[in-house]
Amino acid sequence: MILAICGLALGGALGFLVPWSIPVAYSKLFSIALLASLDSVFGGLRAAGEGNFDDKIFISGFFSNALLAAFLVYVGDHLGIDLYYVALLALGFRIFNNLGRIRQYLLKKH
Amino acid sequence: MRFEKGRLSIACVCMVLGFMLAIQFRTTQDIKDNKPLQRVEVLTERIQKLESENQSLQDELNDIRNSSGEEHSQKMAQDIVLLSGRTAVEGPGIVITIDDSSQKSTAGEDMNLYLVHDEDLLKVINELRAAGAEAISINGQRLTATSEIRCAGPTVSVNNVRSAPPFEIRAIGSIHDLENAINMRGGVADTLKVWGINMTLQSSNNVWIPAYKNPISYKYATKSAKQEEGK
Repeated sequence: MILAICGLALGGALGFLVPWSIPVAYSKLFSIALLASLDSVFGGLRAAGEGNFDDKIFISGFFSNALLAAFLVYVGDHLGIDLYYVALLALGFRIFNNLGRIRQYLLKKH
Repeated sequence: MRFEKGRLSIACVCMVLGFMLAIQFRTTQDIKDNKPLQRVEVLTERIQKLESENQSLQDELNDIRNSSGEEHSQKMAQDIVLLSGRTAVEGPGIVITIDDSSQKSTAGEDMNLYLVHDEDLLKVINELRAAGAEAISINGQRLTATSEIRCAGPTVSVNNVRSAPPFEIRAIGSIHDLENAINMRGGVADTLKVWGINMTLQSSNNVWIPAYKNPISYKYATKSAKQEEGK
């Protein structure tokens, strides 16, 4: 747990220090990828809470979800279908769902 | 919570997440700080346009400086001949034919609404000029700087020559621009269509426009050396 928080802090610091920023054209894709990653993390926390956490599933899910979300939005942009909002809604829904499950688990434990 | 296995990899994932969060935060901050993107695009376009205009003026200036006086006056004479309509010209352009409406006016309605008027022709000519037409004629009468388009009873007078509908307007210029100027939504063609006035538009790569045939005489205006008023 401590290690994970340390990693988060280190990554954040790194992100602030490097001089790059996302070009405006890709900011939409990046934000949806970020949301998918957040969803994966919450999903992982829930799995840990329920006791069936598997690091392989967690890590592969983290990257594949982010890439797939960005890819879907990219394809949607080119097809004239605004999948951005669809992904936003679906991922947001899942995050809140996971949050609810985590809370239930914590309440039951204590 | 049980994180026994693969702690390091989870830390790595968390690091990536933190990195992404930070980058996204910075990007959002940047977008907020910047001027609206659209405004930037408009300004960029304007700068490019002005630069190319500047360049063409510079080229013209260089041309004039480099060419001898005679060459320059020859070029000027050529431009004036084209501008004044003293020669027939040809080139890509469009031919518009306008005729009175084939609809019958219902009782009590002004039947003038269904006829082609000088005003309708003026509107069409105005659009063509705005779209960069270089030479225009109406029923074989070349439009010059002093041409009138005037109602004369049931006919329309151009260059003091009367003609009746159908009117054939020829214009030389960019076919694309001219067609768009006439056919734009809510434009001349749309307005005339409401009254059923027949208007056909043909584009051609070789439109011929006759010369202005009447004599030119300037009785009142004389050349002035003043470049600006009051000097």
